[in-house]
Amino acid sequence: MGELTKVTIDFQSSHLLFPIIIGCVLAVLGLAIVVRERSRITTSGSHWRRIFTQMDKFRFFGTLALTLAYFSLMVPVGDFWPNTGLGFLFCSIPFVFLAGLLFMHVWTARSVLVLATVAVLVPSLIWWLFTEVFFLTLP
Amino acid sequence: MPFFEFITPLFLLLIVGGTFVGVIFGAIPGMTATMAVAVCLPLTYPLGLENGLALLLGLYVGGISGGLVPAILLNIPGTPSSITTTFDGYPMTQKGEGEKALKIGICASFAGGIISLIALYLFAPALADFAIRFSYVEKFLIILFALSVMGALSTNMLIGIFSGFLGIFISLIGTYDISSGGNGKHRLIPSGLEYWLDSGFSLLPVLIGIFGLSAILQQAEAGMPPGLSRDKVRIGKSSKFSFSIFKGQVLNVIRSSGIGTFVGILPGVGGSAASILAYTNAKTFSKNPENFGKGEPAGIIASESGNNGLTGGALVPLLSLGIPGDSTTALLIGAFTLQGIQVGPLFIGNNPETWTAMIFAMLIANIVMFVMMFYAIRYVALIVTIPKHILFPIILMMCVIGAYTINYGIMFDVWTLLIFGLFGWLALKIRLEIAPFIIGFILGPSAEIYFVKSLESFGDLSIFFTKSWIAVLLWFLILGSIAGSAFISSKAREAE
Repeated sequence: MGELTKVTIDFQSSHLLFPIIIGCVLAVLGLAIVVRERSRITTSGSHWRRIFTQMDKFRFFGTLALTLAYFSLMVPVGDFWPNTGLGFLFCSIPFVFLAGLLFMHVWTARSVLVLATVAVLVPSLIWWLFTEVFFLTLP
Repeated sequence: MPFFEFITPLFLLLIVGGTFVGVIFGAIPGMTATMAVAVCLPLTYPLGLENGLALLLGLYVGGISGGLVPAILLNIPGTPSSITTTFDGYPMTQKGEGEKALKIGICASFAGGIISLIALYLFAPALADFAIRFSYVEKFLIILFALSVMGALSTNMLIGIFSGFLGIFISLIGTYDISSGGNGKHRLIPSGLEYWLDSGFSLLPVLIGIFGLSAILQQAEAGMPPGLSRDKVRIGKSSKFSFSIFKGQVLNVIRSSGIGTFVGILPGVGGSAASILAYTNAKTFSKNPENFGKGEPAGIIASESGNNGLTGGALVPLLSLGIPGDSTTALLIGAFTLQGIQVGPLFIGNNPETWTAMIFAMLIANIVMFVMMFYAIRYVALIVTIPKHILFPIILMMCVIGAYTINYGIMFDVWTLLIFGLFGWLALKIRLEIAPFIIGFILGPSAEIYFVKSLESFGDLSIFFTKSWIAVLLWFLILGSIAGSAFISSKAREAE
């Protein structure tokens, strides 16, 4: 029994020891979950159909699309004015405005005007605070 | 007195500001204390550790307390931890006693916060003193115990434990760090991403994604429910509040705060468990249990002192063992990381001024929360009318700043935010447990070091069972928590 528990660790491959153990534990737990939850897994199609039926697709996918565009454009726009954080500012203003419009339920001239003001002022204030006061790098 | 040099006007201002912003986050359904801390984390970078913690602890106390406002006025828990506040708070509002219910909740929150702060002050240094003697073996078993407790207290134990181990697995992506005794080789990195994932996924973008972006995606999925108009917020003051309501409730306050503190000390167990346990106990021990759910002040007292009792309790394992007590304190690890400080058994002894600053910040935050909410409750109640279509885009923008600045300007961290935002949304749909995942992700690298170094030192697997009486005790606790959970769930299935 004493010999069975003895372990020698090869330093060169020691980076794989713990990931392999955790991977095995995950595989065993995953198998146990599949066996125990098999009825729920086999009927998961209806679960996902319900999610997609009840989902506000316009706002959900709209948020994802706006976020992707926001993240993708920040660096290319910022490259026009390197090390100024203006890529962040010039992308954040339209993002906050468009996302606000997306989330707004009733568009009135007053609420759109308030949103537009906030969309210009808040990112500008944040940009000024981080770049001019805190001296932190922004895209 | 040089020891209190940290108390500056800025320190006090940050606590007041943090508590105020925290109350706003807590009071708006869909936003939480965790989200408040995640969004404001990058602001702490230039503030220094004490001032940064002052802001974050203010956010934490304010965020947990603010949840009672919509719970009482609208029957919507502002944060998950105020769910039981709706049971008696909303019936009181319907009877025109909204203001009275709010003030009862605020007083109970204050009492819970102070009692848990005393527990933090007494227990954390004692536990840290004890934990200093732990070797790698005991430290590894403590992490295993934390994961088993979280799994046991999850809705589904197997999925809870699986989520914890998944968090560990993802945390291992990257290089086996030479500075921690590793061999500097890559593992688990998908081809082509070696440059970006050399150090693995950064902690803060992962946390901000899971708690910030995924909450926004959930709200977008639900159609971004609009804010309420002012005329729908009826505070009602047909019955005056008086401190005499608390006569005969001292035991309830102490018991509920104690339950909250204890639940907070258990790793990864959230405030909702604290308030539900406190509420159930208050009902069990009440002389009038039939009044609960119909506007009984004792129910609000139990729920609110229970969830605020969590605030100090959750910091006990964080500051003594380096294990976060809940998801919000997990984010506090980020603040320490930003300042290059490691939390664990040596933290209090090596950083006495930071420790004192934290205690003071918690104390002042509780006082500020009480004064702010108690005397300005009619205005605080209007927070629930702030339009979400303005707040959420700004929060997402703040998430980007948090992720980008954490490693001094790496765009991959912003993409990490998106990846884990989507993961957090998906995890809810497939019923993965987020709290164990996060704790596993945070503690994974330490668990690896403790495990591998134990084996390298002793060369024998039996060392995990024979190293000390603490190791044996920890195994009993690990097996006990799993067996207890399995027993309870089998009983529940039989009852069905």
